[in-house]
Amino acid sequence: MSPRSRAACRVAIVGYAHSAVQRHAGRPLGALAVDVAREAIADAALEPETIDGFVTAALFPTSGDHAVEDGVSIVSADWLAMHVGAAPRYAAGFQGIGQIPGSVSLAVNAIAAGAADYVVLHRALHNPAGGYHHNPMREARGSRQWTAPQGYFGPLPMIGLPYNEYLQRYGASREAMAAVVVEARKNGARIPWSYWYGRPLSTGEYLAAPMINDPVCRFDCDIPVDGVAAFVLTSAERARDLPHKPVYIAGYASSPPPAPRLPLHWPLDDIMDGGAETARRLWEHSGVGPSDVDLPQVYDGFSPFVWFWLEALGLCPVGEAHRFVLDGGIDCDDPAALPALSGGGALGNGRMHGIPQMLECYLQLSGRAGERQRRNATVGLACHSSPHYGGAVVYTAEPW
Amino acid sequence: VTATRPLPMPGEDSAPYWEAAARHVLAVARCSRCRSYVVPPGQTCPRCRATDPGFVFEQVSGQGRVRSWIVMRQSFLPGFSAEVPFVLVDVELAEQAELRLIGRLLDGPDVRLRVGDRVTVAFEDVAPGVAVPAFVLGGDA
Repeated sequence: MSPRSRAACRVAIVGYAHSAVQRHAGRPLGALAVDVAREAIADAALEPETIDGFVTAALFPTSGDHAVEDGVSIVSADWLAMHVGAAPRYAAGFQGIGQIPGSVSLAVNAIAAGAADYVVLHRALHNPAGGYHHNPMREARGSRQWTAPQGYFGPLPMIGLPYNEYLQRYGASREAMAAVVVEARKNGARIPWSYWYGRPLSTGEYLAAPMINDPVCRFDCDIPVDGVAAFVLTSAERARDLPHKPVYIAGYASSPPPAPRLPLHWPLDDIMDGGAETARRLWEHSGVGPSDVDLPQVYDGFSPFVWFWLEALGLCPVGEAHRFVLDGGIDCDDPAALPALSGGGALGNGRMHGIPQMLECYLQLSGRAGERQRRNATVGLACHSSPHYGGAVVYTAEPW
Repeated sequence: VTATRPLPMPGEDSAPYWEAAARHVLAVARCSRCRSYVVPPGQTCPRCRATDPGFVFEQVSGQGRVRSWIVMRQSFLPGFSAEVPFVLVDVELAEQAELRLIGRLLDGPDVRLRVGDRVTVAFEDVAPGVAVPAFVLGGDA
């Protein structure tokens, strides 16, 4: 029996919608999500009552003490279904990490199994008032007792330690990381709905930015935003009757269980060892290999993830991603390069948490990228979170 | 100022760690089945998978080597605004490969560090009867 998924390329994306990405939307997140979902359903030439499945991952990715309230700071699948006015047979939320690949896996499995025929997959991100990660904690309980009393807390120190390990181990420089962020912002500046539309970043601006937690500076971090995206998925058979060119889901993978560590302690070796297994699962599940991918969209919620994913996926040798990027290896304007941030990523759009990667795969492979349309993109790969604590999805323009 | 930092709230499984720290002793949980050190101790032993690991906190040398570090210039927690900038080090303890703790380096923010630098445990007294393990440069590990 082949280890390849029996659902490979049996499910396709047939429509989408995306809100503007703003610091604060000026209207409730739930209402915004309903509008975006209805727009996505209409884009697929369907009616809300036809939608019989809703999936999402509703995580509110903050370490601050902000309230989690459905329809306000998060939007669950059930909340959206009810307010859209649909009566789904299937509604589910992915609870793991690697929220977009996890949500895609729920939708693919439901459609392939016949649990739902037309699924809306959405992601709603909220930027609350006040400091995004600030936490007034006075007592460190549970797992936090091992790290918060010494000031190790939140995602910036989390990425700072393995980032510095990489810099030290491979002799990489912040100048090389500037090339990552400048590429993301160049591409985000071309995307009308991006928070950074029309605002590229120069190498000089990157290098002049003050440090937050050395070696992490402000521009290494995506900016918290309000924003919603929704996609409509159905079977490959049903997709043929719909107006847009389908984009097929060849396979997905989530990362293996992480090694036991202190909270938010991600040593570089953990990231790369776990990432190798994530990649192995992805190639096995999809039947696609790294040399087949011409539209890799690596995750970049923090800029070092770009190096980690390029290496974990085998798109460049381990220890060489910093040179690969600095030498123009991901310049999306060079036809010979790998356009790994052509969709702008999170650094170029705002904290849309894996959506920019998925959306770029959909837009390019369906031929709907407009002025940014690339020629000859056939196999896309959308990453989310860390290689060892996340996931990825392979998309194809034709059944693979 | 330090009194407003988050204070550790020991649980049943961690009380001996904090009791030792208060005496300025670093004691690490050790599985009573396979004798491996575990940070932090959980319900099972990550090495031998025992569900009854019977963790015992044993004093360790407090010697280790720097695997990575960051300089904190902002903190999302209360009580650290007067402390920034400060250095946090990721330390592999001498007792066991990959036995890693994260702590403040008390030598100041401008110290030049390299992977592999030797450090020794030190303690910050943050409240009456409460001390938090940290590190200082130097040692014989």
